[in-house]
Amino acid sequence: MKKNKKLILPLVSMLVMSILLSACGGGDNASSGDNGSSGSGKVTISFMHWRGEDSEALNKTIDAFEKENPNINVEMQTLPSDQYQSTVQSKISDGSVGDVFASFPGAQFEAFTKAGLFTDLSGSSFLSAYNPKLIEAGQHDGKQYAIPYQLVYNDPIYNVKLFEKYGLTLPKDWEGFLALCQKLKDNGIIPIAFAGADIGPGQFMNTMVMNNAPSDDIFTKVEAGEAKLTDEFWVKTLTQIKELNDKGYFQQDALGTKDPAAGALFIQEKAAMLASGSYQLAQNKQQNPNLEQKLLAPITVSADQAKYEGVHTTTFMLAVNSKSKHPEESKKFLEFLSNPDVASDYANQTGQNVTVNDVKYDTPELQVAGEWASKKTVFQPRFTILNGDNQKAVTNSIQAVLSGTSPEEAAQQAQAIIDQHIGK
Amino acid sequence: MKNRIQLSLFLIPGLLLYVGLFVFPTLTGLFYSFTDWDGVSPSYAFVGLDNYKDSLSSIVFRKAFGNNVEFMLTVVIAQTFISLVLALLLVRNTKTRIVLRALYFLPAILSSVSVGLIWAFMYDPSIGLINYGLNEAGMSSIARNWIGDPKIAIYSIAAVQVWAHAGQMMIVFIAGLQGIPAELYEAARMDGGSKWQVFRKVTWPLLAPSATIVVAYTTIQSFKAFDLIFTMTDGGPNYATEILTTYIYHTAFGSYSFGLASAGSMIFLVLLALLTLLQFKALRADRVSY
Repeated sequence: MKKNKKLILPLVSMLVMSILLSACGGGDNASSGDNGSSGSGKVTISFMHWRGEDSEALNKTIDAFEKENPNINVEMQTLPSDQYQSTVQSKISDGSVGDVFASFPGAQFEAFTKAGLFTDLSGSSFLSAYNPKLIEAGQHDGKQYAIPYQLVYNDPIYNVKLFEKYGLTLPKDWEGFLALCQKLKDNGIIPIAFAGADIGPGQFMNTMVMNNAPSDDIFTKVEAGEAKLTDEFWVKTLTQIKELNDKGYFQQDALGTKDPAAGALFIQEKAAMLASGSYQLAQNKQQNPNLEQKLLAPITVSADQAKYEGVHTTTFMLAVNSKSKHPEESKKFLEFLSNPDVASDYANQTGQNVTVNDVKYDTPELQVAGEWASKKTVFQPRFTILNGDNQKAVTNSIQAVLSGTSPEEAAQQAQAIIDQHIGK
Repeated sequence: MKNRIQLSLFLIPGLLLYVGLFVFPTLTGLFYSFTDWDGVSPSYAFVGLDNYKDSLSSIVFRKAFGNNVEFMLTVVIAQTFISLVLALLLVRNTKTRIVLRALYFLPAILSSVSVGLIWAFMYDPSIGLINYGLNEAGMSSIARNWIGDPKIAIYSIAAVQVWAHAGQMMIVFIAGLQGIPAELYEAARMDGGSKWQVFRKVTWPLLAPSATIVVAYTTIQSFKAFDLIFTMTDGGPNYATEILTTYIYHTAFGSYSFGLASAGSMIFLVLLALLTLLQFKALRADRVSY
């Protein structure tokens, strides 16, 4: 009996740990399509992505595709984005599902490229349907592995009517931006609604850093050990974010505010700006039809030093699985999605901008982002940080200054974490 | 002998499940902890003990371990105390006890993800119910940035963990209390013992088996917490609530360092096993029988 009792301890411990590990490992329990030709000669391809909210629009697209291609059946499978991040690789790695799948830019795209999960799409005729600048995020070593389908401008949104009411014009430099915030604050309006608890730091850092380090590879250099967060560009960025917080230009206790709460402040017109991106425009309008919204990026330098006007990201990167048994049919589906009419329908139904040329946007919210196509924007700096832990260290340094740490110290702490990752 | 063989046959399905679903993944994790596998690539290289060295020297891992201990101690102390008090109050034969027991137990049946999401919303400094209630009640000085202030964020989450599980542990204590023979209390009272003396000399020693279960279960449960922290703060702000499980998750799926995350898991396993062992040893010494 005593022996049995002794056994219980390691067994219980092992059980607990095993559950944790097996959960992390992520068993493949997704229902898969037949992924093969049926007796009737019909081929089923599986389309896997994380945008469950687009399912209705994509189902219509799939119906139209199947009508045009009666021998191809598309089976769509969606996962929530956080689960997609953690389990998709185990699902698609043997090619049984995800003939066509989506990938996030940055760390996931890098890992998938290294694992050889992408079919090389270089030279495909349908690539000409896209703005070539906007699909660069899907390239590696000169090969086009994925097509970023969605286009986002990660610039703060502003309330046009409130700006007009207080006679505010878009600032061209840092002093102008501070003056604008002060005027809003003096009138009892929160200048910037900032979701400091989740998406805020990751979104707002982009426009704040874009002119302090006017290059598209500053964080590539940081990860290569050729630049440091303790350099002027990042300490200055942190100092300016701290200045906004110290002057009360963010709502009170911004560090405890999550995305929905910050969004509510903007939607209820208590805040004049929302530190998020164009992806939020349609949702805001839905909740407050009186809103008139545009995008604006804080310029952190003098007007003559400003190189960029804003930040863009291309995401929802569509790809063909290198293990797919039906690569031609999968490419056909991508080709269909690349049609400007199909892309227009997708954009207008989902409220998301796309990277396809000649798309007709129906709503003012989608047209806002359309206006930004002619502006000088840089690819989202945060997504150029390829290691997730490094990304977290960078955004956490923003949270550190908002909780009272000096910019120099916060930069130093984040750099120390990155130094540990360099060379691994 | 025949009986033994028959009994052993009954064990086989359970054993197969245990080995397949628990032992095998653990051993797989152990294997990957010696590699540089990114969780995606078909190939990997063996790196010996590098992942273990990197984990143990990692600033974030150490911070996560410290937070883990802080979270665990807060939860164990608060949860044991609160569940014991609830049990002592609700073991009496009052009319409302069934309803109250059910009410206190209710949070245990909710999914921790839902609990996390709801509480994160309630803790919101601008639109959350807690600060709103405090302000309305004229207690604005108590209102805080509950999960946004790095100094108190971990305790705010610990409070939710206690809220969610104290009722469950209350039931364990109630079962223990009901198992204490009434004549022992009568004898103690006849000897002129005060309420506190009766509790100290009779109730508490005889509750030791229940306390062992409560403390051991709470320790394991709080040490391997994940869902609440993941949904409420995701380890933030600035690593203030990062614990080992969220560190392992972020390492595996945020930076695609599966080998490193597996090493972290193995260290976590050893820590958990040691902790459980120490607890059983320490608490077993307190046991009394009658």
